[in-house]
Order: sequence, then structure tokens, then C-alpha cells
Amino acid sequence: MCKIDSEELARQRWERIKAAADLKEPDKVPLELLLDFGFRARWYGITTYEFFFDYEKAKKAIIKTATDFPTDFPPLPMFGTGSLIGLALRDYPDIARIAGVLTGPMHDILRDKYTRWPGREISPNSGSFQFIGGEFMKADEYDDFISDPFGFIAEVVVPRAHQSLERPGSAEAMAALIRAALEGLKYVEAVDSLVNGLIELGYPSLLAFITSVPLDFIGDFLRTIPGVLLDLRRRPDKVKEACDVLIKETMSRRIILTSRSVGFVLIPLHLNEYLSPKLYYEFYWPYLKNIITSFYNQGVKCQVAFEGRHDAYLESILELPKGWGIALFEKTDVRRAKRVLEGHTCVMGGVPPTLLLNATPSEVEEYVRKLLEEVMPGGGFILAASTAIPAETPPENVRAVIRAVEKYGVYRR
Amino acid sequence: MSLLDEIVSAFADLDEERTINLVKEALEKYPLNEIFDACRRATDIVGERYERGEYFLSELVYAGHIFNRILELLLPRLERERVSILGTILLGTVEGDVHDIGKNIFKAFAEAAGFKVIDIGVDVPPQKFVEAVKEHKPDIVGLSGLLTLAIDSMKRTIDALKAEGLRDKVKVIIGGGRVDEYAKNYTGADAWADSATKGVKLCKELLGIKE
Ligand code: B12
Repeated sequence: MCKIDSEELARQRWERIKAAADLKEPDKVPLELLLDFGFRARWYGITTYEFFFDYEKAKKAIIKTATDFPTDFPPLPMFGTGSLIGLALRDYPDIARIAGVLTGPMHDILRDKYTRWPGREISPNSGSFQFIGGEFMKADEYDDFISDPFGFIAEVVVPRAHQSLERPGSAEAMAALIRAALEGLKYVEAVDSLVNGLIELGYPSLLAFITSVPLDFIGDFLRTIPGVLLDLRRRPDKVKEACDVLIKETMSRRIILTSRSVGFVLIPLHLNEYLSPKLYYEFYWPYLKNIITSFYNQGVKCQVAFEGRHDAYLESILELPKGWGIALFEKTDVRRAKRVLEGHTCVMGGVPPTLLLNATPSEVEEYVRKLLEEVMPGGGFILAASTAIPAETPPENVRAVIRAVEKYGVYRR
Repeated sequence: MSLLDEIVSAFADLDEERTINLVKEALEKYPLNEIFDACRRATDIVGERYERGEYFLSELVYAGHIFNRILELLLPRLERERVSILGTILLGTVEGDVHDIGKNIFKAFAEAAGFKVIDIGVDVPPQKFVEAVKEHKPDIVGLSGLLTLAIDSMKRTIDALKAEGLRDKVKVIIGGGRVDEYAKNYTGADAWADSATKGVKLCKELLGIKE
């Protein structure tokens, strides 16, 4: 594809997404299909082990699937996950890109305990790397965390969470960090080249930034989810203080980091579905609201993944400023969400991966047709997979979704 | 209110310390069966409140935690005293999947209802299920999983049971946030549940136990 064409294509795609996010009717319903790493590897003909341990192959697999399954959103330009070390080093923005990521080869070097990788702890062709988290802070250590959260992460959590860094200052630990940094350079190079490849394909470059609600961070990286749920009963004041200090310490920096970026700040939610109203409105919602409105006031929109069943808290989204961003729903029915949030919040989702696993292409098309008929009028809707589409999904069903949007998702020619 | 009724209401209201203290007191006055029965009544109420939307997952996790603490107290007597059990469930999260919060809730509710539950952990390969079935001879095998790929692992586990000629000797129930009627048919399970209370009810049905 020639340069002008891809620029024009990227412009159209971005306009489409932006119109929906701004609660308007675009020319066509924007589409996002979150193909998971396993799907991309399989389509390209490699194992997920090869995908995660050979950046060049991962890059090509992502480019190939972005070519063969075109959507409006670009794939996330990453093939690793967020790292604890990056958090510990948040005062060193010059190395943020290298420190902020954990890839397969870095897992070998750092021997972290919070992820598992194909060809290592799990089978060489399992769907994805896996985040498993861990209890890296004990229940009685909240005070230490609160008095200096990032110092605590650097000095206590990081050594506990990585076998190679167990003895900070040891030769082994220093070697591991230097090796991981060298690996990081390779990774960043591959990602830059991937981003260029996606631009050539006509994808808008949505320099995404991912962040989380304090309570989710505590659950994922410090206390485990059952652990933090117990803490909410037994030491609610400490949990609250930890949330407060986290939001205070991170928000201003997040704003600086994202001021350069276009696109959206991604916020996947974990504990939303778990919490009773009492807990949700005290420990969760105020912080999520704070993050979203702080970005909004800086002109940046968020894309929040309301995982699980968010029905109980749907109405509270209306407390946010109108047009704040995009709400992706998983098990909550997008029809209902659209009705409740009409004219206020852009609703995203609607395609459950289990449907794609089990239906025929014509059933998929029919499903999308019916859904769009209900939710597209008035705009402010993005069709998307409600969670990642796994490797086992028949590719013709993914194609069927793309085709259905072309057929039934057009507002004006 | 009798002591047992007090346990029921304290437990159902998730008053952890009060429940524990009451159970300690009851241990000196009642046979185990009756204390278990109080737990069952309490978890039934918790389950109902959850279904009605008064309780959320945070409450289910907490109820599971309280029940585990009660079990710890009962354990020394459990070894000496026979309690009647409804049946044995072998439970695990299938290969490739480490989600276990839901599995642990189901376990607590099944135990409170009177089942004996043997929990063999997470990321359990089919072969390990097969060996455990041979060793423990359970009435029911419970497979938990939250990833879409877990559905395939469930199928492989049930196929492995078939290959060993064990499938007819047990009932199989699958559970977890993403299982449904399709997954049941695809895997060849006897029943499916996406909530712990539903799961317990189905386990009783599978063994022909009347409410
Ligand atoms: C908590 C969580 C985690 C925790 C798990 C902690 C733990 N110890 O369990 C952590 C952070 C470790 C985690 C990791 C991952 N997760 Co996760 N996780 C979740 C989350 C937020 C909640 C799951 C949960 O606990 N629900 C609450 C419990 C109580 O519900 P439940 O399990 O359904 O259980 C109930 C019933 O089903 C029933 N039940 C359960 N088991 C059984 C068994 C039987 C026999 C019976 C009868 C009944 C029964 O009783 C329970 C009570 O009613 C969901 C999103 C969501 N909201 O669903 C994602 C989710 C399940 N995770 C997901 C993913 C992709 C992952 C990762 C692969 C991410 C990654 N790339 O690393 C890893 C994989 C790790 C692995 N190998 O399994 C996806 C799955 C997508 C898919 N369709 O495959 C989800 C849906 C998130 C998303 N929207 O993308 N995760």
C-alpha cells in the first residue's frame, strides 16, 4: 500500500473511533477485535513459545494478523507485560520504556515469580504468557508501604518477586539487571519497528498507556485478590491509606507521561465485579473516577474495561463528565449499557469470544446484524470482542464479524 | 435464640469473630453433625443473599474464609467423630488455568452442605485427575476453570477418565465463569454451574439426594 493511502486510511480510522468516543455517528461502526497472542501466533504458523521468545517473529505475526484481519483499532504494540521493576523505577523516565516491560527472555533472566511463559512453566503452545501475581507484601506491612510506596516496591517487593534479585547488590542481581536492560533494548527496537509497520498498514498510532485502580494494583502485585478482600475486612483503614498514597503519588506523573500521547489510556478493572456497594463506593469508584476525570481535564480520554458483570454499578458511570471516554463491557449486556449510558458514554463490546468459538459464520453475521440494529442508532458505539479472542477460534468467524460490520454497520456511504 | 441459631445468624451476617467464638462455645455442647448443619443453614442464607444481589463476590470469598476457620476448629474432633457425608467430590482447576478463587468458594459451600471435598489444586493435568480418581474413588469430579482454553482442558480430562474406564464410575460437573450448556455438551460433563450455590444443588441432584 502506498504512503498516502495508508495515511488517509489511518485518518479515516481515527476519525471513526474519535466520532464514536465523542458520542457521534461516524461513517461506520468502529471495530476492535482483540486477537490474543495465541491467535496471532497460530495464524502466522508459530508456537506461542516462538512468539514470546523471538521478538522478530512476534512482530511479523502481529503485522500478518493486522493485515489479514483489519479493524479500526491497531493491535497493542507489545508482546510482553508490565513489570514491577518499571514501577520501582518510576522516577527515572529516561529508562521507562526498557524498565517497564517484562518479556519471555527477561523472565528467564530475572526469574520473576509473577508470570509463567510458554515453553517454560507452561506448554510451548498454550494461549498466552500468564500473569499469576503473588503475595509479595505481607498483611502487616501496610505501614511500610504507605510511608514510602515506591521505595518499598524497589527494596522489598522486587527482591521477593524475582529469584535473580533475591539478594540486592549481589553480583548475580546486578548481572541480571544489566542483562535484562540489554534485552530491553532489543525489545524496544522491535516494538518501534512494529509500530512503523502498523502505520504503513494504515493504522492510527494510538500511543496507549495502561494504568490500574490502586485496589487492583494491591490485589495483583502485593496481596493477591483473596488477600486484599480479607484486608478490606480486617484492616480497611490501612487499605484505604495505601490506595490514597498510591493515587497521590502516581496521578501527577501519569498526566505528564500521557501528555505526549494520542489515543486512550487503558484501564482494565479486576475487582469491580467482586465488591459490594459499600466497598465499591469507598475503595474503588472514587479512585477510578479520580483517574478518569484527571485525564479528561487534560484532554485525554480513557478506555475502561469493565470486566465481569458490572451491572450493579452501571448507573454510577453517569457521574463522570459526559464524553469522558469509552466503556468496554464483558458480561454486562451492551444493549442495556447503551440504553443506560446513551448520550453520555461511548459503549464498546458486544462480541463474546465464546460465540465465535461455537457458531457458524452465518450465525455470527446474523448475531452482529441484530445487535447493531439495536445499538448503533445515535452513534457512540464501538463493536468489539468482550475479551481476547483465543487461538482455537475459527478464523472464518473472525472474518464474519468484519464482514458483518461492512454490511450492517454503515451509517452513511 | 439457641446457640446454633446464633451461629447461623452471625455466620450469615459475616460477623467473623462472633461466629468463631460461638462455634468454640458450641464445640463443648453439641455433636459435630449439628454444628455442620448450622454452617449449612448459614451458607444457604449467604447463597440466597448473593442470588438476590444483597451479597457480592467479596462476601462469598469472606464466607468461604470464615467457613475454613470453622473447619480448623472442628478438625481435631472430625478425626474422632463420624459425621454423615452426602458424598465425596474430587475438585481441581484444570490444566493451563490457575484461577482458584471461585473453586475455593465452591469447595467451602460444598463442604458446608455436607460433602467431603478433596481439593487437588490448580493447573491440574488430566493424568493427575485420573490418578486421584483411582486413589480417592469420589462420587463426583468437579472441574473448575475460567479461561476459554480451560474448556478444552476439561474435555481432555473427561476423555482421559473415559480412556481409563473411569467415566461411568463418577459424575462430572464443570464450573467457572465461562462454562455454559455448550461447554457441558462439548466436554461431555453431566452438569455445569456458574455459581457455587447452583453447583451444590446440582451435586445433590446428581447423587439423587432430595433437598
Ligand atoms: C481474579 C482474576 C485473575 C487472578 C486469579 C487469582 C486466583 N487465584 O484465582 C489473576 C490476576 C492471577 C489472573 C490471571 C490471569 N487471567 Co484472570 N481474571 C480474574 C478475574 C478478574 C476474576 C475471576 C474470578 O475470580 N471471579 C470470581 C469467581 C468467584 O467466580 P468464578 O470463578 O466464576 O466462580 C464461581 C462459579 O463459577 C462457581 N464455580 C467455580 N468453580 C467451580 C467448580 C465447580 C465444580 C462448580 C460446580 C462451580 C464452580 O462458584 C463460584 C462462586 O459462585 C476475571 C475477570 C472476571 N471478572 O471474570 C479474569 C479473567 C478470568 N482472566 C483472564 C485472563 C486472560 C487471565 C490471564 C491469562 C491474563 C494473562 N494474560 O496473564 C491470567 C491467566 C492465569 C491462569 N493461568 O489462569 C480472562 C479470561 C479470558 C478468557 N475468556 O479466556 C478474564 C475473563 C479477564 C478478561 N476479561 O480478559 N486472573
